[in-house]
Amino acid sequence: MTRVSAPCTSVCSSFKDMNNHGPKAKSHSGEAEGPNGDWSWVLVGALFISTGLVFGLMRIMGIFFVEFVNYFEESSQSISWITSISLATQQFFSPVATALCNAYETRAVVMTGGFLSGLGLIAASQATCLVHLYLSMGVITGLGWALVFTPMMATVVANISQRRALALGLGLSSIGIFSFTLSPLFQLLVEMYTWRGALLIMGGLSLNIMVCGALIRPQWCSKALKKVDSKPRSSCATVLRRVSSYLELPVLLERPYLTYTATITIFNAGYFVPYVHLVALSRMTGFSEYQAAFIMSATGVTDILGRVTTGWFSDLGYFRTIHLLSLWVVLAGLFIILLPVSSLTGSYAALMAISLLYGFCSGALSSLVFAVMPMIVGVERVMGALGLLQLIESGAGLLGAPLSGLLKDMTGNYTVSFIVAGSFLIVGTLIMTTLPHYFSRTDPPPPHRVPHDVKDRGVHLELEHINNSPSDTSPKGAQ
Amino acid sequence: MSASWGKLFFQLVLLLASCGHINTKTPSPTSPSLDPISPLPSDIRRVVLKGESHTEKVELLNPVDLALECIWSGNENKSPNITGYWRKDGEEMQSIRVTVQLENDKYTLRQVFKIVSKENLGSYSCSFGDEAKADFLLAGPQIGEVRDKPIVSYVGDSVVVKCKMDEKKPKPASWNWYKANGTDKEQIFYAAEPQKYEIKNHEWVTKLVVHKLTEGDSGFYYCEGVYAVSTTMGHVELKVITFLEPLKPFIAIIVEVIVLVAAILIYEKSQSKKNSAGGNETNADQTNTPTPGDNNGPEESSSTRQRKV
Repeated sequence: MTRVSAPCTSVCSSFKDMNNHGPKAKSHSGEAEGPNGDWSWVLVGALFISTGLVFGLMRIMGIFFVEFVNYFEESSQSISWITSISLATQQFFSPVATALCNAYETRAVVMTGGFLSGLGLIAASQATCLVHLYLSMGVITGLGWALVFTPMMATVVANISQRRALALGLGLSSIGIFSFTLSPLFQLLVEMYTWRGALLIMGGLSLNIMVCGALIRPQWCSKALKKVDSKPRSSCATVLRRVSSYLELPVLLERPYLTYTATITIFNAGYFVPYVHLVALSRMTGFSEYQAAFIMSATGVTDILGRVTTGWFSDLGYFRTIHLLSLWVVLAGLFIILLPVSSLTGSYAALMAISLLYGFCSGALSSLVFAVMPMIVGVERVMGALGLLQLIESGAGLLGAPLSGLLKDMTGNYTVSFIVAGSFLIVGTLIMTTLPHYFSRTDPPPPHRVPHDVKDRGVHLELEHINNSPSDTSPKGAQ
Repeated sequence: MSASWGKLFFQLVLLLASCGHINTKTPSPTSPSLDPISPLPSDIRRVVLKGESHTEKVELLNPVDLALECIWSGNENKSPNITGYWRKDGEEMQSIRVTVQLENDKYTLRQVFKIVSKENLGSYSCSFGDEAKADFLLAGPQIGEVRDKPIVSYVGDSVVVKCKMDEKKPKPASWNWYKANGTDKEQIFYAAEPQKYEIKNHEWVTKLVVHKLTEGDSGFYYCEGVYAVSTTMGHVELKVITFLEPLKPFIAIIVEVIVLVAAILIYEKSQSKKNSAGGNETNADQTNTPTPGDNNGPEESSSTRQRKV
C-alpha cells in the first residue's frame, strides 16, 4: 500500500481541533492555513527567538574579537576566521539539516541543533588555543545553527500561507533586535567575567533554542510517510533515491530554481560587505569609535523596521512579492555604492542617512528572499530547497567579505570594494528578471510534483488549488 | 714654579666651590663659563598673566636649561618697580628675588633653571608682589592609556597587564613594575620569580605577564616609565575570580531551559491524551467530508499520532 498525505491531513486537523478551530473547507492538505490562531503565532515566536539566538549571537561575536586578539596574541585576521567558519558550517550543512527533517522529525532536529550550538559555545569557554575556538565556536556551533535555522524557516514558510511575509519579517526581525540589545549586555558580561565567563553564559542562552524546538508540533509532514514501501529494499538505488529526495536534489534541475539560486548567491557576495566593513569605513573617515558603533546600531534598527514593514506591505497584495524583492535589492545596491561616496563628503549626517536607508533596504530584502521561495518550488519542497539554497549561497558569502577586504588593501580605501558589492546586488537583480513569468502582474501557479500515483492525483490537485490562492493576490487575507 | 702651582690650586678650589654650589637643592642661575658639564639644550616657557593666576604644565624628559618667563601687564596703579620672586614647591627661593622694572607697559620676570635630576622637577611659581602669580608644573609625561576598568582573570589562568605610553612622546629608557602592598609599592623583580612574572618591554608598551594566578594577586599594579630626569606612573587594577562566578547565572539559565522544555512536552502529552480519549470519531467525520480516497485516514492517524508522541 502506498501512503499518501492523508495521514498528515488527519494529523493536522486533529491538531487544529486542539486549537479549537472549526474545520476549514480549504484546509485538507498537509499545510495548515495560517494564521490559524495561537499555534501559528507561537511558531513565529519560536522562529523569532531561535533566529535571534543564531544570527544575533553571530553578529555580536565581534565583541569577543578584541579579547581574543589580546589573550591569544593572534592577528585579527586569524580571529575573524572563527565567524567565517561558523557561518560557512551553518550554510554548508543546511541541506543535511533539511534532509534530516524530511527523514525524521523537525522537532528532534531543531532541539539537537540547539543543544549542539550551546555545547560549542560552552566548550569554547574552556579554549586554550585558537584551534580550539575554530573547532568549538566555529564547527560545533555552526553545525548546531545549521540544524536550527533552515528547518525553522522552512517550517514557518510551509505552515503559514496567509501573511507569510509578515510572519517571516517578524521572525527575522529578531536578528537586529537581539544584536542590538544583547550587545551592551555581553560587553558588560565580558567586563565582569572575561570572555570565558561570557561565552559560558552565551552557551547557556543558546540552549534556549531547544525550547523553541520543543514548540514545533509534529505537523510538518515528513516524506518518510510518503516514501516507505511495503517491501523495504535496502539496495543502493533505493537508498540513493530516498536520500536525493530528502535533499530535494531534483529541484536543482529546474531552471526557475537555478536562476533564483544564482541570484541569491550573487546577492550574498555583496550583501554582507557593509556589515563587515561599515565600522571600519566610518573610523577611516575620521569618526570616533562611539560614532561608528552608533551608526551600526542605528542601521540595525532600520534593518528591523525594514523586515517587519516590508512583510506587512507585501502581504497587502498590491505588488507581487518578487517585484518588491527586486525593488529593495536595487535600492540596497544603490545605497551600498553611495556609502563611500557619502563618507567622502566627511559629513556624519550624510553617512548616517545613507546607512539608515541601506539598513532598511537590506532588512526588507532579507525577509522577502525566503517568502518568494514557495512560489518557485512549491510549498512541499521548501524545506529541501532552502537547505540547498543556503549551501550554494554560502560560497559567495564566504568570498564576499575577504574580496572586499582585498580590494581595500589594494586600493587603500573602501570605495572600490563597496562599489563592487553594490554592483553585485544590481547584477543579481538583472539575473532575477530572467525568471519565468517575471513580468506578469500576478503570480504564476507554482510547480508541484508530478504525481506518481493515481491516488496521489486527487490530493495534489487540491494542493495546487491551495497554492494558487497565496497570500498576496487579494487583501482579504485578514483573518 | 710654586706660583703656577698656587694658581692651579686656587683654580681647583674655585672649581670645586662652584661645583658644590651647583649641587645644592635650590637651583641657581648659571653662567656657562663655570659649568663643568657640556652645555645643555635650552628651552623656554612663557606665560602671559591675565587675571589672578595661571597654571602651565611642562613635560620634561631629558636634562635641559629651562627658562621660565612670566609677563604681567600690571594693575591700575602701574608702579615703576615691583618685587618679583620665585617659589619652588611652595618654598621661596630667596636668592633670586629681583626688582622688576615696568617696560613697555608690562613687567617681565625671567629665570633659567637647570633641570638635571628628579629633584629639579616640581612646581615652580613666579609672583609679582602679592598680586599676580603663575605656576609651572614640571613633570614627566603622562602615561598614554590608563584602563579605568579592572582587568579580570581566573584563578590558575595567566594574564597580561599592559601599560602604553603615548607614541607621540619619546619612549622611556626603561620600565619598572610595582605591586601595591597596602599603601606601599613593592617592586616586582621578575628574575626573582621567573615562573610567576614576566616583563616584556617593547618601545612604547610594557607588559607584565602574571602566571598561575591566585586570588591574592588581585590589586593595583603600577608601571613606571623611567626617563633621564623624570618618571611617569600609570596604574592598572587586576581582579582574580574563580570560575564559580559565571557559573551561577549559567546554572540558572540551564534550569530555566529544562523547566520550559519539560513544561511544553508535558502540556502536549496531556493535550494529546485528552484528544485520543474522545477525539477519534470527530476526526473521522472531518476528514471524510472534503477529501476523497481517505478511507485509511482514521486508523493511520491514531497510529501516526502515537508514534510521534
